[in-house]
Amino acid sequence: MVGEGGVQGRKGVLELTDTLRGVGYLADRGLATALFIALKLGRPLLLEGEVGVGKTELAKALSVAFDCRLIRLQCYEGIDTHQALYEWDYARQMLHVRTLSADQVQDGEAVSRLFGAEFLLERPLLEAVRAGDQCVLLIDEIDRADDEFEAFLLELLSDFQITIPELGTITADSPPIVILTSNRTRELHDALKRRCLYHWIGYPTFDREVDIVKVRMPDVPGTLAHKVVTAVGRLRDRDLVKPPGIAETLDWVAALGVIDSENLDVESARDTLGAVIKDRDDFDDVNSDLELLVADV
Amino acid sequence: MSDEPIVERLVQFGHELRGEGLPIGTGDVTTFCAAVAVLDPVDLQDLYWSGRTSLVTRRDHIRVYDRVFGRFFQSQHEAGHDEDVPSVSATTETQAVLQVPENEPHMGDAGDDPEITLGLAASTAEVARDKSFSVCTPEELVTLRRIIARMRLNPPRRRSRRRCTDGERSQLDMRRMAREAMRMHHEAPRLLRVGRKLKVRPLLFVLDVSGSMSDHSRNLLQFAHASRRAADRVEVFCFGTHLTRITPALDSPRLDDALAAATRCVSDWDGGTQIGESLRELVRQWGKRGMSRGSIVVICSDGHDRGDPTTLAGALKDLSRLSHRIIWINPHQGDDEDYQPGTLGMMVAAQHVDSIVPGRTLRDLEAFAASLPRLR
Repeated sequence: MVGEGGVQGRKGVLELTDTLRGVGYLADRGLATALFIALKLGRPLLLEGEVGVGKTELAKALSVAFDCRLIRLQCYEGIDTHQALYEWDYARQMLHVRTLSADQVQDGEAVSRLFGAEFLLERPLLEAVRAGDQCVLLIDEIDRADDEFEAFLLELLSDFQITIPELGTITADSPPIVILTSNRTRELHDALKRRCLYHWIGYPTFDREVDIVKVRMPDVPGTLAHKVVTAVGRLRDRDLVKPPGIAETLDWVAALGVIDSENLDVESARDTLGAVIKDRDDFDDVNSDLELLVADV
Repeated sequence: MSDEPIVERLVQFGHELRGEGLPIGTGDVTTFCAAVAVLDPVDLQDLYWSGRTSLVTRRDHIRVYDRVFGRFFQSQHEAGHDEDVPSVSATTETQAVLQVPENEPHMGDAGDDPEITLGLAASTAEVARDKSFSVCTPEELVTLRRIIARMRLNPPRRRSRRRCTDGERSQLDMRRMAREAMRMHHEAPRLLRVGRKLKVRPLLFVLDVSGSMSDHSRNLLQFAHASRRAADRVEVFCFGTHLTRITPALDSPRLDDALAAATRCVSDWDGGTQIGESLRELVRQWGKRGMSRGSIVVICSDGHDRGDPTTLAGALKDLSRLSHRIIWINPHQGDDEDYQPGTLGMMVAAQHVDSIVPGRTLRDLEAFAASLPRLR
């Protein structure tokens, strides 16, 4: 694992970039450096950026590249410790209590077994702490959870330990790789940010995006990739409600592939526009001057 | 890190950033040094990225970081690049000379004896309650605004995903039942239930501050300020020719400070009105990102729109899909029941908002406040 030993310095960053490229993820220098530092220092990495620029994808790529499990915690409003951390298996506990005889109930051991590992249901965070560096923990869309939950994550993110009153404190032997993503629907607390390294993922440059298409879809002819990326670039320059991300670029190329179109012209663009434009106003807006969009791509 | 001079230089860089207003603690600087140590930088780019990932925590700070980095580590000084950041403070300066709306009109700072004013308040409050704001004397307005500032809005509630044991209960509470069974030595436990917690819906004020509306909006601004301190989530926007978010400016607990700060943000008090454009901006900039979801949107305007009515219609349609309820407060609407919308803007609005309520007198505003909790 990259976390321990390994190559230091610039060479390490390049190596990491290559490793990720090997599994189909192209990281630019900024992202690779941020990730490298996060891995070396054993700190969580908080990723922000427009939708569809590959925040979640990075965690998946890391888990494949380092051949370890991906444990994903999708955040939502009202998520609490019982969904994120652990829960006791109450139904089984109750059945177990019923089978105990009166004597056994007097015996402390039988009762304390009720709060043993046997009755503990692991949820993603506990699972990740137990797995340690054998997993990548992805805490996805943290901005959707409410702020109480953020406060609860603080202990986990700074010390990689979890306290369960009945069992005591469980500490990770070696910290897992932790990636947090946020779509900035609300500003996160500074206390949380301070425990993480931060990286803003922007839209890629033209050449990089063409590379991404080629790496992810090796069968696609290079000219088509060029054309689609050019058109997507034009869409991003327009004043759209929802500008297309890299995910949309890839969807569009895939959609063109499905209808066996090797070229991006007005007709094929109209047929597949739904892959790249996801808002009705944008759709009307773009649909009205498709000629401009695909002209000399 | 063994190389002391380098550490010193890095720490200095941290100080420099702090001087520019970035919140950088000692811990962050330590992380920065550690990051540089593992990277063992060979060029400025490495140094740049290690600092950016460890010292910057917000997207808005990236620009400041870039500037300080350039100044600190690169000898070449790009004048053009440097200029655009301070221009932010320059605009604030220019806006600051705009007339600060008086929270208490025509009352001088000197000789304003609070006791006398309060005495006045008690006597005029009842009289002025049904009087239109536009014909109130300055003294009456002072009193009315005091009353408005004391009003507390109580937005409706909705079910959240969090659980609680009081109120309406529907699910079995296995956790408590298991505990109880253990305590009672495997006696069959009572059925215990748990329900969903209720959560206050967010409020979103959109206030028209153009020409004829500015006085009314100041009343509402006071309203918004009071509720911002009481409720969890209140967002406040102002618009005239364009939209401005003034929520952060209302953070100050002192009303006058908050209003002054809000005024500095808004550059078009008493300008023309572009309701449609402004609402469209609200939807695109904030609504689509999720700010207005599930919220009660309160728009205060007389509907005098200089823009295209189809823009207004489109924006309201979008907004109604992105929020729970839209209430339009029209200060020119009287008490009479068969009020017909007079302006084109109001006619368009009438089709898309949930209700249009009058906002001419204090009693109107009180009625509005009282109706809020019922908007399920």
